[in-house]
Amino acid sequence: MTARKKRYSELWKTWEAGDVTNSRRFFFLILVIAGIISIVLFFDWWFHSDHVASLPLFVLLSLITWWGIIRLILIWVNYLGVKKPVSVLAEPGLKVAIFTTSSPGEPLSMFDKTLEACANINYPHTTYLLDDTQDPAFKKVAEKHGAVWLELVGLPGAKAGKVNKALSMIDEDFVLIMDPDHIPFPNFLDEVLGFFKDEKVGFVQVSQAYYNQYRSFTARGAAEQTYTFYGPTMMGMNGYGTSVAIGANCTFRKSALDSIGGHGIGLAEDLITSIRLHAKGWKSVFNPVVVSRGLVPEDFGSFCKQQLKWSRGVFEVLFSELPRLSKSLTMWQRISYLAISTYYLVGVTTFLYVSIPFMYFWGGWLPAKMDFAEFLINGSPIILIALLVYLYVQRWLSHSPSERGLHWRGMVLKFATWPVFFLGAMLAVVNADIPYIPTAKKAVKGLSPYTRPLIFQLVLFILTLGYVIYDRLYIASEGILILTSQRVWGMFAFASVSIIMVIGGIYAAYESRNLEAEEPWENIDLTSIDTSKELK
Amino acid sequence: MKNTMNRFVFVSAATIIGIAMVMVFVFLGKQTTGPITGALDALGNKVIEVEQDYLLSKREPIRSKELAWFQKYRNNIELLKNPDTIFLGVYENTYEESFNNIITFDHNLQNTLPFIQIYTAWGDKPREEFPLVYAKTIYDLGSIPIITWEPWLNDFNREKHNLPVVEDPNIGGMAAVARGDYDFYIEEWAKDVKDFKNNIFIRLGHEMNDPYRYPWGPQNNEPHDFIAAWKHVVDKFKEVGANNVVWVWAPHPAYLKYGEYYPGDDYVDWIGIGALNYGTAASWSKWWTFDEIYGNYYDWLDMLNKPMMITEMGSLKVGGSRETWFKEAISDLPKKYPRLNALVFFNDSDDKTTLNKTLDWSIVKDTVVCTTINNAIISSW
Repeated sequence: MTARKKRYSELWKTWEAGDVTNSRRFFFLILVIAGIISIVLFFDWWFHSDHVASLPLFVLLSLITWWGIIRLILIWVNYLGVKKPVSVLAEPGLKVAIFTTSSPGEPLSMFDKTLEACANINYPHTTYLLDDTQDPAFKKVAEKHGAVWLELVGLPGAKAGKVNKALSMIDEDFVLIMDPDHIPFPNFLDEVLGFFKDEKVGFVQVSQAYYNQYRSFTARGAAEQTYTFYGPTMMGMNGYGTSVAIGANCTFRKSALDSIGGHGIGLAEDLITSIRLHAKGWKSVFNPVVVSRGLVPEDFGSFCKQQLKWSRGVFEVLFSELPRLSKSLTMWQRISYLAISTYYLVGVTTFLYVSIPFMYFWGGWLPAKMDFAEFLINGSPIILIALLVYLYVQRWLSHSPSERGLHWRGMVLKFATWPVFFLGAMLAVVNADIPYIPTAKKAVKGLSPYTRPLIFQLVLFILTLGYVIYDRLYIASEGILILTSQRVWGMFAFASVSIIMVIGGIYAAYESRNLEAEEPWENIDLTSIDTSKELK
Repeated sequence: MKNTMNRFVFVSAATIIGIAMVMVFVFLGKQTTGPITGALDALGNKVIEVEQDYLLSKREPIRSKELAWFQKYRNNIELLKNPDTIFLGVYENTYEESFNNIITFDHNLQNTLPFIQIYTAWGDKPREEFPLVYAKTIYDLGSIPIITWEPWLNDFNREKHNLPVVEDPNIGGMAAVARGDYDFYIEEWAKDVKDFKNNIFIRLGHEMNDPYRYPWGPQNNEPHDFIAAWKHVVDKFKEVGANNVVWVWAPHPAYLKYGEYYPGDDYVDWIGIGALNYGTAASWSKWWTFDEIYGNYYDWLDMLNKPMMITEMGSLKVGGSRETWFKEAISDLPKKYPRLNALVFFNDSDDKTTLNKTLDWSIVKDTVVCTTINNAIISSW
């Protein structure tokens, strides 16, 4: 077996996050305390009047820096709460429905595989295909795997609209909403249903994992961006009673959904559903276990589309849901939803960060006069502790063998997609819509239009470099050349960090062009899925 | 953990270890200040060097071309110590941002100035190291730097350098310098000067005989301590191999005892004198002409047999005509003071050091004064 094949076969094993022991929490608490003291010391150093070069710019730089640091503290505090739920055996005889939705243009063969996998799920259940393709082949596939075919055409609200309609047509008490690109393992429901023994539990979310991340740089990066979230982050949220339904494969108590008038509708429908359920007093559980694997966008364009959809959608929680529901939420839920719903402001802060060198070169504006050595000495403990924390919490990843690492591809991709987040934030501010774009299930050819801002940044960088060299050769006065040498080239070094990320993004987009379309679900051998848990 | 006591122990132990961890960082940070700062400094200097080699060397030089005549002096330390002409120079207070005002001054004076003066205090801060960037800039512009090096002793981290912690390190400070307490700093500086390779002037501890002004003066030190400190510094430079320095001894002649502070012919290359006319700006001052400020002491200073430099030449506007002051000062200067070999204009537009108000000595943009100076030079030198 080749290494790649071996790694691939590893994916089809049930896996769960490491245990949360007192000694692990103790070491983690040490890191957090050291980190917070380092931040206090950095704070004390940062705000000095002789660091100010231009006051408005310094304020701006401080805002983006401290916005980032506050989020860092928040995530650490969140990790302090990590909790792994004690698994509860599912009672027999529960009435369970599995919903999966199909839309025009989605590949039939994918449903063939998904519905087969759903049929293989051990716990007795009924699978429903919520279909608006108006293609009889879909009905046939549903029937082939014993699923109930529901034709639900012309309903508003896309996926959630169909889900709500179907909810009114069934008499089961629990509903698993399965993304059609996800392959559930036979033990999926066994890992979920037991938690509903607690009458207050409204929904149970499991980890989201993928099987096509080795297909491209984009897929790898996109998957890497989610690893920590579907591990320590959600486990922390679980500890604070704030774990959300997000991404795919959440199981709901039907009466809970009924109590809020059905599944939420919108670009961030899962999150909207979560906040409404929490506001109604329902509890949520996150079980950090891998019992299904799905697809992550493989090409840069699809990835950006997905990110645009989320970044626009998540702000709706901030603007529409949170103000209305805030008083019914617990303090931690309020903080958590506030943090999630402002996550994509990273598009705005990154924009400002990227602009700093260009403001200097074209406008002569310098935000801060800081000694670089002092900056390093005061800032590096924070960076070091943040890195240690990042690595330490990886014991709580849901599938640590394939998910451990520095996730640099994820970082490159996150940085390079700032224009998408920025656009999402701006659309939210002016309350403008983006069309509902389903995330592509297969690779798409061609250089995505989302690459344009990246190419623009690269061109601007090269033009600026040319301009600065020309200026320093022919125009700038002799009286400042050497004096400004370190600052000018230091700024270029600063800009290069962004440009390296941008080049990474362009590479991802370029690689996407040559991605061979493939139906990755074809290679999955459902019989080889290993449902025995690897206990650590 | 249901037991409150256990929780308390758990959290306090983590807190203590967390604090200890940061202490280690802080300790390491302090210990590594030297190497990290050193490495970054080296990197910064490399950036300047690389840019000069690959980019700026392709530029057509303007100012250094105008100063082509000066190169034979600049590159010959013996000629610098025994000059055969009069050099003009300037200190301009915005030099840390840009030397453009100095270039403007050149134009207004119709004279490209070969001497440029800058100021550096002693201490631990980066700006108190040898000012390599400015020295390089001055060389690049075709001039030579005069560095006024002020031995303030209160800006050192005394614990770090194992120096006795005292209330005011400036009291008896010159004796401490002579004892070698500050050799760590002097040697570092001397090495940087040596590595710079080009010749420079250093005006060390100026106006050492003024009892009201600087901490290295008589209020804290005996004259023989100043002399011992001076000799110690000069010897340290020689020991390190920094032989590219012209030493300027600069007393304040109005406080008559300056002779007691002279370190000796072997340790001094030039004599520097300040010639600032405060006019009626201060209660203790009146309108003094250049001849009154400098001329009265010329004969004694002349006996030392060293070239002389007016290191700070300027006049305020209040109480007389600045134009006339400069005209009288410059006219026939070589005939009156044959040993005066340099005039360095004091162009501080923002002088807060002497009075509790801001004084403007600047003549950079005063075209009338500049023309007057130029005409006086052309007609009488």
